[in-house]
Amino acid sequence: MASHTSKAFLSLGRINVHGLGLQRPLSRVTYATALSINSPNTNKGLPERGGRGSFLRKPRRDAGEPRTEKMPVDQDWTAVYPAATPFRPGSVPLPVRMGYPMRGSIPPEKNGNLELIKIPNFLHLTPAAIKKHCEALKPFCTEWPSALDTDAKCDEHFPIKLQSTDYVFAGPSVRNPSARVVTLRVKVSSLNLDEHARKKMLKLVGERYCKDTDTLTITTECCPLRQQNLDYAMYLLTVLYHESWKTEAWEAEKSVADMEEYSWEDSPSQRNILGMLVRMKVAGEGEGEEVREQLLGRKEVQEYKDSVTRLKNEGESESHMLQYKEAVKKLLDL
Amino acid sequence: MAAPMALRRELCSLARIFRGFSRLGPRASAACSGHSKCNIIRSHLPLTSSTFFHTATVLPSTPSSITVTEEPDVLYQKVSLMVKGHDKAVLDSYELFTTMAAKELGITISNISEPRQDMERLTLLKSVHIFKKHRVQYEMRTHFRCIELAHITGSTAQVYLEYIQRNLPEGVAMEVTKTTMEKIPDHILEPMWKDHPIDDKPSQ
Repeated sequence: MASHTSKAFLSLGRINVHGLGLQRPLSRVTYATALSINSPNTNKGLPERGGRGSFLRKPRRDAGEPRTEKMPVDQDWTAVYPAATPFRPGSVPLPVRMGYPMRGSIPPEKNGNLELIKIPNFLHLTPAAIKKHCEALKPFCTEWPSALDTDAKCDEHFPIKLQSTDYVFAGPSVRNPSARVVTLRVKVSSLNLDEHARKKMLKLVGERYCKDTDTLTITTECCPLRQQNLDYAMYLLTVLYHESWKTEAWEAEKSVADMEEYSWEDSPSQRNILGMLVRMKVAGEGEGEEVREQLLGRKEVQEYKDSVTRLKNEGESESHMLQYKEAVKKLLDL
Repeated sequence: MAAPMALRRELCSLARIFRGFSRLGPRASAACSGHSKCNIIRSHLPLTSSTFFHTATVLPSTPSSITVTEEPDVLYQKVSLMVKGHDKAVLDSYELFTTMAAKELGITISNISEPRQDMERLTLLKSVHIFKKHRVQYEMRTHFRCIELAHITGSTAQVYLEYIQRNLPEGVAMEVTKTTMEKIPDHILEPMWKDHPIDDKPSQ
């Protein structure tokens, strides 16, 4: 029975104080007495159930007519719902119905409807209320500078972009560890770098550079606070910039395999072509450097050089292969 | 070359305006936390709950204290708000509210999108003991809404975001991604080796 179970509950809680000699549960119950013996008497409609009942219970007054009957049509709704409050059927003069209908019936009405109370309502945020709030907030806002209306202008004057995320949610803790991540994006072309510095920087950053958009992305999340990550990202950018301007002694050992782009000078392709042309005796009789120089100056050789460089750097495609074919045909007089 | 010395305003009196609002606890704004005046106002709030009596929001007739500082304003190229909730109707209403508020405050909205909903499904045993063939399935649906604002200053963003976040409905979460624009700092404009000769030390 209910009494037995409530005593069982109480005895479970008292196990830890067994040593203190508390055998009997005290009259002060520490749990929510959902299983209390006397169910509260809700029958207020029959006050004549014994003289004792009417003394213990206060006589309940009638609710009276709801406020909706007395509301004028042109009232100030922002005064009725100034803040976010649960739905009150007596304060909302709308015939709202909500809930799944019973068979052959319509959704239940608003009086005593739990579904309307459960769902968050926006009655305090009507357009009139929003306008009022924004009127009060307007003095605190500032205008965007009119000269920076396009993205291109923004990129030109403010090339560094820092991105971070804030999280708003309800939970046991308001903190989210992902909020400390900072991403720094900058276009490498907007930095003051010469050719060698640019190549060295791209080699230093590796995967963080995107060739299509010419953007260097640095993501920092190693520090516990966002400001620290921000400072670290700027520090990394500074170090990269200054280090790439330096020329170390070992950089002279850069070999053909380390080169980022293909260059035709001093390549096997150049040697082969010149050797072949010399053997074909295109420029006439003669050996030595001046013959090679003369050959290099010719238009067909230059065209061939361009087509080969394009093929190697930009990859193979229909148009590149066609250009290469034309260049070879012109060179060999086919 | 437009980098005007923009103005920075305090949001001290914002707490006074929102005094009638009962929901202030978990979402402590960064602006208010540093000002002692706001803390004093907030300490009275937990006792007076506006659910029990109506107080019309009386906007102060005297102009609120706006302080202007010389600090340049932060410039946000893009502020992206992503709201997540279990009920699509609530997100629809919230989107209406945010777009209307942005229009009133003069903020440009570049894009409103609705990413695909995410469903997390669980299949659990129906009974406490045995009956492996009888299961029950639950699913949790998360709906998204993404609102992107473009070209917004730091003060305006602070005001707008605080307003939006204070009126965030129950059961809805928000992620705000801000993209700040900044100039190249002075120490990256020129390499420092121009003034100081390069040492031949091997790099560590």
